[in-house]
Amino acid sequence: MFNFLERNLPKIIIAPTTLAMIVCMYGFILWTGLLSLTKSRMMPQWEFVGLEQYIRLFQNPRWHVALDNLLIFIVLFIVISLIIGLLLAIFLDQKIRAEGAIRTVYLYPMAISFIVTGTAWKWILNPGLGIEKIFRDMGFANFEFRWLVEQDMAIYTIVIAAVWQSSGFVMAMFLAGLRGVDDNLVKAAKIDGASTAKSYWYVILPIMRPVFFSAIVILTHIAIKSFDLVQALTGGGPGYASDLPANFMYTFAFNRAQMGLGAASAIIMLFGVLAVLIPYLYSELRERPA
Amino acid sequence: MGHIQLKNVCKSFGSTEVLKDIDLDIQDGELLILIGPSGCGKSTLMNLIAGLEDITSGQIVVAGSDVSDKSPKDRDIAMVFQSYALYPTMNVARNISFGLEMRKVPKDEQDETVNKVAELLQIDHLLDRKPGQLSGGQRQRVAMGRALARSPKAFLFDEPLSNLDAKLRVEMRTEIKKLHQRLGTTIVYVTHDQVEAMTLANRIAVLKDGIIQQLGTPYEIYNDPANHFVADFMGSPGMNFVECIVFEDKLVIHSGSQNYQLSVPCSDAINRSGLDSVLLGIRPEMLTDLKPHENNPYIHEVIFDVEVIEPMGGDTIAIGKWNDTEVQARLSPESGEIADKGFKLQVDTSKAIVFDPLTGQRVR
Amino acid sequence: MNINKIFHINLGRTLIYLVLISFAIIYLAPLYVMFSTSLKDIEEIRSGNLLALPNDPTLYAWGKAWSSACTGSECNGLAPFFWNSVKIVFPAVIISTIVGAFNGYVLSKWKFKGSELLFGALLFGCFIPFQVILLPMAILLSKLGLSNTVSGLVLVHVIYGVAFTTLFFRNYYVGIPTELVRAARLDGAGFIDIFRHIFLPLSTPIIVVTLIWQFTQIWNDFLFGVVYSGSGTQPITVALNNLVNTSIGGKEYNVDMAAAIIAALPTLIVYVFAGKYFVRGLTAGAVKG
Repeated sequence: MFNFLERNLPKIIIAPTTLAMIVCMYGFILWTGLLSLTKSRMMPQWEFVGLEQYIRLFQNPRWHVALDNLLIFIVLFIVISLIIGLLLAIFLDQKIRAEGAIRTVYLYPMAISFIVTGTAWKWILNPGLGIEKIFRDMGFANFEFRWLVEQDMAIYTIVIAAVWQSSGFVMAMFLAGLRGVDDNLVKAAKIDGASTAKSYWYVILPIMRPVFFSAIVILTHIAIKSFDLVQALTGGGPGYASDLPANFMYTFAFNRAQMGLGAASAIIMLFGVLAVLIPYLYSELRERPA
Repeated sequence: MGHIQLKNVCKSFGSTEVLKDIDLDIQDGELLILIGPSGCGKSTLMNLIAGLEDITSGQIVVAGSDVSDKSPKDRDIAMVFQSYALYPTMNVARNISFGLEMRKVPKDEQDETVNKVAELLQIDHLLDRKPGQLSGGQRQRVAMGRALARSPKAFLFDEPLSNLDAKLRVEMRTEIKKLHQRLGTTIVYVTHDQVEAMTLANRIAVLKDGIIQQLGTPYEIYNDPANHFVADFMGSPGMNFVECIVFEDKLVIHSGSQNYQLSVPCSDAINRSGLDSVLLGIRPEMLTDLKPHENNPYIHEVIFDVEVIEPMGGDTIAIGKWNDTEVQARLSPESGEIADKGFKLQVDTSKAIVFDPLTGQRVR
Repeated sequence: MNINKIFHINLGRTLIYLVLISFAIIYLAPLYVMFSTSLKDIEEIRSGNLLALPNDPTLYAWGKAWSSACTGSECNGLAPFFWNSVKIVFPAVIISTIVGAFNGYVLSKWKFKGSELLFGALLFGCFIPFQVILLPMAILLSKLGLSNTVSGLVLVHVIYGVAFTTLFFRNYYVGIPTELVRAARLDGAGFIDIFRHIFLPLSTPIIVVTLIWQFTQIWNDFLFGVVYSGSGTQPITVALNNLVNTSIGGKEYNVDMAAAIIAALPTLIVYVFAGKYFVRGLTAGAVKG
């Protein structure tokens, strides 16, 4: 008996986590998947209607707005964050004085919740009292900056706030990557006659490919899950012009008693994440020696 | 006391058989070396004896009792690891006493043992240090101290010297030998360094592909290897192997643009085998400068075209070709200075051995 | 030539510093704006400039944000919700860290058949969009009688935080030589002894990283908070959002900003004092699987 306990202690220790994982992750995903095939509204109702909820979902103009917004958001958010993050990392890697302090400043937004970030930027971008007013006070009497309340522009305010929050993190990832590059490589490139810019472009950046890859995956992941930022900054508005799928899901599942539809949108989000994640994990596992 | 028996021990990982039917009887007080190339199963065998891995089939008996299913702590065996595996957060004294602490030995007894062991290994001035503050050699001593503290039935050494620099390795080797002579405890010692094996062992077991190729004293392993693999593995520089045509009861070699017929002790066996050509194995120290002639049928004088010389200090290795195969001769440093094309070599075949070129088995 | 080169280098470096400092200003600007706004009165906000320093700093907005601002129908400020968050965060952080430590220890040093698969499956949990589990979890919580309770939120945070904490500890322990475990087993130590005497003393850095990561994640959570809490158990992020969106008697931007800073303060303080570990957590949680 004692021996049995001793031999199986590792499994016993990990059993609760395993159970929670099976039920609360995979079981729940399955449950949501099944629910998305039913006509559930207020309460789960196990009457299966096939893909009807998905058809309704893709006929819903609000869902299309959310998807279009997500596309705009992901592309701009990732591209801008990568450019800023990489630029700052390379500049910071030039033996900068007070590097630690500067790094701290770049990264602090990452410690703040998206709700706070949203609240702050909502004020800064306030039409009338925010940035617009600064420029008007400076003498540009007709200056207009009211993206926050413009149907077509509201999604870009979310990009601005998200980039502000996350680009420092990208910087940190790239900086860690740059610090991991063998100094001798740079020396070798210099001896071969490459300028600093060229040695970065031809030698260092190719080595950093995995960092790009990881950064893109993480930023995509943040983008798909972004919900709080929209909620705090625009509330999805004006109207539903700046909704993302996460907000759509929340609104329909919890505020509008459309469980089946909400479940269907959640499943689509899951597939979105998988589409990015699986190639990533595949390449990660393949590159690693067995 | 420390008598270890392995009976038909097999170990598989999934479908790969790592150890096949190992039978080994390690006498009490013996220092047995397990040697072989990496991946031969020697470390696995050691882990099986320690109980760190379970055997697939067979039986392990320590001091008369079957321990095959017992956990490591119930086998009363201590081990010294290649990486030393010292507990990084504990000081030297606690590293040594940890095993006693786990076995609930009273504190004053622990202290006494620590002091005794530390004195024996000359690490008494290091007892308060953490492993991170020690040099490689000191860590090695602490690792041994940890093993010694429990006075176990047997010690396992898993390539204990391979992380030390060359000079220290030789020193520690001698020290281990002295320690063994003094304590007389059974030691199973894994290494891939054949010099270590030769110098330390009472007996050597040569392992390849999970099979014991040969078990014997260092002398037997060196002079009477069971097969081509063992002959090739042991000795530095390694044995010369030359494929030769059999002519009557002699072997033909081509050296310095001439043909020679060498007599070998096992000519009868060669004739009996009916082979047309065989692999001649002869150690470099049997190819030397000319010495005053002895009346011995196995002494030949051979012209040798030296291509490269490698002075080793004590002697010089000269490399040339027999039958288009590279062979090494061991010359005195003086003749090494002048060795060139047409050098006159004395070849002593009295210890030469012969293999079947296809199977690698001895012809005898 | 030399002078030219020196001049060239200096110009380049000046440019680099210029860019770095401008970005630092951009990153700091929102914090500055929040602070200065929170110290102004509402008159000054309406007439003055976003970037101007307060003429006559006042803590009125801070007081109101803390104890009397309206967060929906109630007007007790953020204080009760701040303490809600504290009550949620501490147990959730501690439990998930302990569970993660043991899981990581098992998955790195006591592997068994299927443990790698288990780890992979768990790792996946770091990446799923939580929207996909929101509905069934709500039902489970109500079945357990934990809807709208602090304990319910703690449970949710523990369950979905363990994937991360396990990942952290597992990846850290993988770097500790397995031979230490073997040596200790031969010394007669068991599963728990080895953890207590050998792994725990080595774990301080990863414990700090995990605590900080979990603290930040859970304190900043909004999604679980808004879905699973009731009016009396809302965490501070939800209350802040409600406060900002409640405009009884006109918008008070200074109160919004003071409230936002109050909500951000705990994680900011942790970041300022333990930034090194925070960054390590970010990269560890993010980069390596």
